[in-house]
Amino acid sequence: MSARYAIGIDLGTTNSVLAFASLESDTPLVELLSIPQLVAPQTLERRESLPSFLYLARGGETEAQEFDLPWAESRDFAVGEVARSQSSENPDRTVGTAKSWLCHSRVDRHQAILPWKAPVNMVQISPVTASQRYLEHLVAAWTQAFPDAPIAQQQIVLTVPASFDASARELTREAALSAGLPASLVLLEEPQAATYAWLSSSGDDWRKSLTAGDRLLVCDVGGGTTDLTLVAAGAEDGDLQLRRQAVGNHLLVGGDNMDLTLAYHVSELFREKGTDLDPWQSVSLWHSCRAAKETLLAADGAETQTISVAGRGSRLVGGSVSVEVHREDVARILVDGFFPECDITDQPSRQRVSGFQEIGLPYEADTAITRHLAAFLQRQTEEDSPDSPAPTHLLFNGGVFKSDRLQQALLDRLSHWYGDAAPRILGGTHDLDYAVGRGAAYYAWTSQRGGIRIRGGTPRSYYVGVETAGLAIPGTPRPMSALCVVPHGMEEGTEADVPSEEIGLVIGESAGFRIFSSSSRPDDVPGDKLLHWSPDELVETDSMETTLNSDGDEGDDYVPVRFQSRITELGIFELSCVHTTTGESWKLEFSVRDDAEV
Amino acid sequence: MGRLSLAWRVLTSGELAQQLAELVSGAAPVAAIEQPMAADPEPAPAVRNDAVTLLAALQREARLVDFLMEPIDDYADAQIGAAVRDIHRDSQTVLDRILGLAPVIDQPEGSVVDLSDGVASGRLRLIGESGPEQTSGNLAHHGWKAARCELPTWSGSFSSVDVVAPAAIDVG
Repeated sequence: MSARYAIGIDLGTTNSVLAFASLESDTPLVELLSIPQLVAPQTLERRESLPSFLYLARGGETEAQEFDLPWAESRDFAVGEVARSQSSENPDRTVGTAKSWLCHSRVDRHQAILPWKAPVNMVQISPVTASQRYLEHLVAAWTQAFPDAPIAQQQIVLTVPASFDASARELTREAALSAGLPASLVLLEEPQAATYAWLSSSGDDWRKSLTAGDRLLVCDVGGGTTDLTLVAAGAEDGDLQLRRQAVGNHLLVGGDNMDLTLAYHVSELFREKGTDLDPWQSVSLWHSCRAAKETLLAADGAETQTISVAGRGSRLVGGSVSVEVHREDVARILVDGFFPECDITDQPSRQRVSGFQEIGLPYEADTAITRHLAAFLQRQTEEDSPDSPAPTHLLFNGGVFKSDRLQQALLDRLSHWYGDAAPRILGGTHDLDYAVGRGAAYYAWTSQRGGIRIRGGTPRSYYVGVETAGLAIPGTPRPMSALCVVPHGMEEGTEADVPSEEIGLVIGESAGFRIFSSSSRPDDVPGDKLLHWSPDELVETDSMETTLNSDGDEGDDYVPVRFQSRITELGIFELSCVHTTTGESWKLEFSVRDDAEV
Repeated sequence: MGRLSLAWRVLTSGELAQQLAELVSGAAPVAAIEQPMAADPEPAPAVRNDAVTLLAALQREARLVDFLMEPIDDYADAQIGAAVRDIHRDSQTVLDRILGLAPVIDQPEGSVVDLSDGVASGRLRLIGESGPEQTSGNLAHHGWKAARCELPTWSGSFSSVDVVAPAAIDVG
């Protein structure tokens, strides 16, 4: 049975969305699925998005069936709005940023480690399982709405940050398959999905907005992450084509950091008035600050706004305290903290200055998105001709940019760097909250029915750590070189034999390799061997391993191999060791790094 | 809920036992139980009045009940005003989402309303006396209508059928 629906799933750090379009209609009409979810125990309501939170229930709550759903009984956990509302009062039972953990290769993402550092005897869950639970909920919501169109038979596109490396993508895929999504699932980078959403809203008019030689900068600031992507327009065979040129590093800074920073400022104002807020009040303050950020920083925002925090008990007016917050202070704090003035030659600071960071996750030391952007653009300049052109167009995505002042702050930096050549905002309608899900559904639709595709291949190059030959010095590890196995931009559905010296692997034993990736070395080709690199250039990810159970009985206890890499049609990175004479091959699987924290 | 566990809950829950006693004596509260349970092989699920469900949503998201039930005579206007801003914003969000409130007549107040098609019962209310030939009037109030009624679905038990907001207890 062929697919009837194109489905796009945005598995977000803080919110998840499912959008869909009928494949039977001749134009892609993308709709959002309203998602039934618990908003309080035993209270089911439909919402446009599913907060990506998971609450681990108490025994009594499970027994009383407080978190049961129409499709699940005796649930010992809950996801969605009800879980999010528990995060303030029950932090040791609530999992928040599971997605940010998926790309943190310093921990084993299959281990039950969340909530991070929960007290002993508390139940924990792995980042992969938490992600699976969110997706299972979306699948169940789909099944409720469309019982006649099983999700496993539909065309599914799931989005991931462009900055996710191969192992984070593989873990996302694993969670998706466990949740009942089909193996034909395609992963799409979020900034590309936002671009597709723009393409779908512009229809054929997009060719009037972009011309050959244009370079589109997609700046996607989500709740927890910032994702940068550069898309180039070029003429191929007389038609305009889009090509994803580069993606930024994984930046753990986003809208939540801004809301927290603002909440910290406001809680200081309360302290000056002699009021210390309890944790529950702090979270309610956080929500008020998010709203204030949007209203105060709107183009026609008021000069001041009163922010109040209600009393904890039933006395609301009597227990409430309030402070005046000034628009200029808020703008200064957020612009200085996240969009400060800087030169395009500036680099992000490595010195950790900010006070907030959740222990465990490697949050950015420098929260200045403008400096990360400068470094990203600077890298593109170095690689092309000395004076590579400025981006010509700009596409914003993410709820942060509902604040006009923050859009303006970023535009100001770009015009400071590029003067008259600064990029213009792409015209058309922008749905900052749902563009990724909508764009994914549109992409899924065009993959069946035809339409413009952004090409680009792998956003990173990949390397295997190989010990260099030479005399061993006792007590000293052999120096390691990095062998390029996948070049930047390797297209889906292609493979590469990696030229190298023969590598000897012992039969019957597990062979493990350290794996590195780079988003800043577009010129390396398979077989290139790097002896030195800076920590910024090559980032280590999960190791890969395989066990060699050879059928051949040549009497040798080791086999000579070389590497062969492959990017599947679905964009999955595969690496194999191939026997140099018999051609027998062993596929490597991702595993956990030796230096992972336990 | 199986019959055994229901029996157990009757034994252990004073409230439920009370409700059953009231049911038997014919004094059951408004929202409680619509069908006699003894005659039914499966116990009827607890049904909560929609008014309670709507109030629970307004309390959960906007703390509207806390506000309305609090004596406010002794507070200064400024203090009440400060508290109201959040309640107002959050209540509006809830009403918007659940009921989709919109004007009955989407015209500016004071503008002329055409009455030539007649007056649909309940949608318009005439003020003052009209002549026999009069086919228009001035809009004094645009009215309100609910575009939808998408209340949360509640699936709790008899013990919480009347609960607008559960008591919160800090256990450390």
